Amino acid sequence: MKFRIFRSAEDQTGAGAADPTESVRMGGQVLPEATSSKAASAVEARLEDATPVSGPTVVATPPTGPIKIAARDVSVFYDGKQALYDVSLDIPDKTVTALIGPSGCGKSTFLRTMNRMNDTIAGCKVTGRIAMDDEDINDRSIDPVLLRARVGMVFQRPNPFPKSIYENVAYGPKIHGLVSAKSEMDGVVESALKRAGLWEEVADRLQSSAMGLSGGQQQRLVIARAIAVNPEVILMDEPCSALDPIATARIEELIDELRERFCIVIVTHSMAQAARVSQRTAFFHMGRLVETGDTEDIFQNPRERRTLDYITGRFG
Amino acid sequence: MTDATPDHIDGAAAKGRLDRLRAGLKRRHAKETRFKWYGRLAIAAAMIFLAILMVRIVAQGHTAFYTHTVTVPVYMDPARVDRAYPQGSNFEQLAAEQQLKRWGIQDDAAGDASRQMKALFSSELKFVAADLVAKRSDVIGETVPLAVPLSDEADLYLKGEISKETPEDQRRLTDQQLAWLDRMQAEGVVGSHFNTALFTNGDSTQPELAGVLGAVVGSALMLMVTALIAIPLGVGAAVWLEEFAPKNKLTDIIEVNINNLAAVPSIVYGLLGLALFINWMHLPRASPIVGGLVLALMALPTLVIATRSALKAVPPSIREAALAMGASKTQTVFSHVLPLAMPGVMTGAIISMAHALGETAPLLLIGMVSFVPGVPHAIDQPVGALPSLIYIWENASERAFHERTAAAIIVLLVFMIIMNTAAIILRRRFERRW
Amino acid sequence: MIWIYLLILTALSAAAFLGGRELARRRAVGAHPHSRPGQHGAYALIWVAAPALLVLILLSVFAAPLERQLTAAGTPDVVAELEHFRRDAFFADAHRVGRGEPALQIWERPLAEQLPVEARRMVRIERTLQWGGGAAAILAAILGGLFALTQIKPQTRARNRVEGWIYGALFICSAIAVLTTLGIIASLAFDSFRFFQKVPIFDFLFGAQWSPQIAIRADQVGSTGAFGAVPLFVGTMLIMSIAMCVAAPIGLLSAIYLSEYASRTTRAVIKPLLEILAGVPTVVYGFFAALTVGPILRVFFNEIGLFLMGGPLDGLGQYLALVQNQMALTAGAVMGIMLIPFVSSLSDDILNAVPQSLRDGSFAMGATKSETVKRVLLPAALPGIAGALLLAVSRAIGETMIVTMAAGLAANLTFNPLDTVTTVTVQIVTLLTGDQEFNSAKTLSAFGLGLTLFMVTLVLNIIAHRIVQTYREQYD
Repeated sequence: MKFRIFRSAEDQTGAGAADPTESVRMGGQVLPEATSSKAASAVEARLEDATPVSGPTVVATPPTGPIKIAARDVSVFYDGKQALYDVSLDIPDKTVTALIGPSGCGKSTFLRTMNRMNDTIAGCKVTGRIAMDDEDINDRSIDPVLLRARVGMVFQRPNPFPKSIYENVAYGPKIHGLVSAKSEMDGVVESALKRAGLWEEVADRLQSSAMGLSGGQQQRLVIARAIAVNPEVILMDEPCSALDPIATARIEELIDELRERFCIVIVTHSMAQAARVSQRTAFFHMGRLVETGDTEDIFQNPRERRTLDYITGRFG
Repeated sequence: MTDATPDHIDGAAAKGRLDRLRAGLKRRHAKETRFKWYGRLAIAAAMIFLAILMVRIVAQGHTAFYTHTVTVPVYMDPARVDRAYPQGSNFEQLAAEQQLKRWGIQDDAAGDASRQMKALFSSELKFVAADLVAKRSDVIGETVPLAVPLSDEADLYLKGEISKETPEDQRRLTDQQLAWLDRMQAEGVVGSHFNTALFTNGDSTQPELAGVLGAVVGSALMLMVTALIAIPLGVGAAVWLEEFAPKNKLTDIIEVNINNLAAVPSIVYGLLGLALFINWMHLPRASPIVGGLVLALMALPTLVIATRSALKAVPPSIREAALAMGASKTQTVFSHVLPLAMPGVMTGAIISMAHALGETAPLLLIGMVSFVPGVPHAIDQPVGALPSLIYIWENASERAFHERTAAAIIVLLVFMIIMNTAAIILRRRFERRW
Repeated sequence: MIWIYLLILTALSAAAFLGGRELARRRAVGAHPHSRPGQHGAYALIWVAAPALLVLILLSVFAAPLERQLTAAGTPDVVAELEHFRRDAFFADAHRVGRGEPALQIWERPLAEQLPVEARRMVRIERTLQWGGGAAAILAAILGGLFALTQIKPQTRARNRVEGWIYGALFICSAIAVLTTLGIIASLAFDSFRFFQKVPIFDFLFGAQWSPQIAIRADQVGSTGAFGAVPLFVGTMLIMSIAMCVAAPIGLLSAIYLSEYASRTTRAVIKPLLEILAGVPTVVYGFFAALTVGPILRVFFNEIGLFLMGGPLDGLGQYLALVQNQMALTAGAVMGIMLIPFVSSLSDDILNAVPQSLRDGSFAMGATKSETVKRVLLPAALPGIAGALLLAVSRAIGETMIVTMAAGLAANLTFNPLDTVTTVTVQIVTLLTGDQEFNSAKTLSAFGLGLTLFMVTLVLNIIAHRIVQTYREQYD
């Protein structure tokens, strides 16, 4: 399939946008027209007196459609050291939201607040409010076990369990007691694998070890494992960073398909990937959310100096 | 996207799913709590065992650290004390008879009363008196107060270990002897004090005279031999394996070998020592040299493993820097890598020596089960060692040896704690994080 | 004596070092030497010390056997015709007389006359060997030194040669490990072989009766002594099983708790305490078993027995009332306690080797900790834990002091944990301590048992190490 560079929220049909910005994909030469054209000079001029590091988040374009997760003033501390400063972000449903920024900027930390994975780290404290469907997920009444059944997660390195392919996918439904009959489980496994685009490749060896799959297959298996419990949100933490370009392409394609059903939040260090798969982008820098908006907007018309510097490759 | 699973956004289906999730939660959390408690109970069990072990040993052993001495005035009867050969005189009988007389008790014809009285004094009385006479012959014909330890059983009674309620035929002291002891205490001639004999004497057949010094010195001599042999060999082997060894079959064999040797039962090393050092090389049985050699072979694998991990912790950049300066491989290892790894090496060495100190089984096989009186001073003479002394005393029939066994264990544990603490301090002090 | 040689050698070595260094300095004048003078000195030192040390080591290993050979070879017929152990005793006494100590035994007429003669001869042999060995060592040192002096030239690569020697020395250090294994196998196999000449190996491995005490002389074995080791094997297995029943669950669960649940402070307190438990010498556990656990268990079962006596379970009551301190349960339970920290720390390592990503993956799926442990970590760590348990089994089988002090000597063929059983290690200790006659089947049988023990633990260790190794590589 052909890769589209931007996918706007309106572009739900998935028709490839014939775009003038093909060159955005070219690594360091992102937005060549922006740096050379007059318009770009204007942007530069406007950004000349850049906002201080601690300035408020610039919302380039507000999200359209229903909001799935609303974060307000979220701060994270590791052993008293602050890693995230007052992040407020709206994440719309059935959209891919990309979190970008240089390494150590807090994007993964923020991602992990949304399914309370930070609970598993000793000495980690989260303040602020994160609401999912208007419910504070950090509330005492919310069981993280239940929350994580609703918010799935895919990690940087494929981490299938050292069990059979079948058991990996069946893991979630089994522990949550979602499925009782064996035949029902077969159906769940099959449909999850199909949705993850892996069924064709593994249908004849469901009982063999998941460790024998290739890296790309393992990552799709992990996605299948996550969607087998039918979550509402899927968090992805640099899901392609350990994969080769071909496997990356398959995952990106899959993410695009999954967008129809799930709210997806993806952390990526590759701006090209953010540009290709997401509709919304949030740029983090030094623990702060600097700028957020429609992906197209962020990449073509950043309001913030640091955003521009980052996406044009001056740092990061 | 072809399947027809219900869309989660479909309100009713999503709610049904959530309800199903919630339904299992309580049971799952209960399981979680239960599992956590299994873990806590396991830890608690281990800690309780440790506590019982320690408390029991202290409870059994603390009484051995003090002992009772009786001061008896003895009239050095010129008729019965042999001036030329005082060791030949029966001082114990003399003291016992005079004690009976002082109390106005008539000895029976068979001499039973004086025999019972004699049994209350340690046989040390004879040596104390003989020494005195040998040194100052003018005491003959005079009455001198002699301070001597009570016999082991009498000592136990005064420590409250023997009860009067026990039927007479089930204890070694008669009712009469107990009464006499009470009387002595009432008269104030019995004193209780710290048991120095326990630390200044070698082993003895008399519990009240037996001490751990001989075994401590024996263990020290043995550990010295072990350290002199095992540490250079172990460090050398580790340096070769970690820094020089080529990747080949031979190296693999040596590595596997060392790992397996570390898990060979210690008694097998005892068999090796018996067959090789005693039956083949005819080294003296039960001597520190044989014990040291056996313990060295036994400590070697653990030492190699510890040293290797210390060497591994030195980052390769140090080696590269030295090599880049034109140092040879040997110079790099001996002047850069090894000095940096030294704290780790020393820690490993001390810990393996502490381990060797407590090892018993191989010592039994090379002959350290026999009674060795006195304090040893040479590495080719039979000695006792602390752990084998514990084994010997535990087997002894006299009850007084039981408390001394526990006391010897306390001494052994104190030594081990000192060594381990030294290792920990060394590690804390010099540990380097790269 | 050996100290004097070592002193002389040290002096010679120092001289070689200083001389070699000075010589190298002089010969280097005007040339471009490859190595520094000190390295030449070290080279000369090695050539002096190494050959002499080699001679001394060979001397200390072979002098005693050689001395015996020589003594036995030249002895008059009256002595040579003596029975083996009598002859040994005679030579031992001759040795004592030679040193000016009184003989231990009173020897009859022809022997009594030979005693001082033999004593003088033995002293002569001993002296010859000592002086000869020492002279050979010093000669070797001098020859080596002379060779080194001819080698001190500017173009000699003294540093490389010294390093070659160091490399060789380090290799020998490593090779000691292999030599130790060979030594173990050789010494066990040699005496086991002699044992199996007296007692068929089949009878030993499969015989059901063990009573070596009856066999006082080698020639009586066939008629009276019984060397069927099955009761010992069964006893060992019984105690090992009890120990594993205690150690495996407690050790494993505490490892799980420590690695997955405990806070940093809890770990910092518990881990050193477990290390203390691990560092307690086994003789202390033996004491604990014999004087604390044994009596407690006996009283416990006796009370139950008294309670049951006369009731419907009278038979059981009668039995329980007579239970002894030395039951298999005592030794097994205490051995289990000893193994708890061993199992725990090995399992802890194994669990820590499971990558964090698997835990994260499971938590992110909404699994609780116990579900993660039971469904992901334990299955993933299973091979490693199996290896750890095998190592524990191997230690339990080879453990000596606890069983020697707390298990009995009666070789009962039983699986009842309340009965007295004996183990392989107990029998080795019993057979080789106290009075022993060299060469009797009774003494030699200890080596047969030792060989069996060594082989079994070796196989267990190899399997366990291989499993753990493969397991670790999987996650590297």
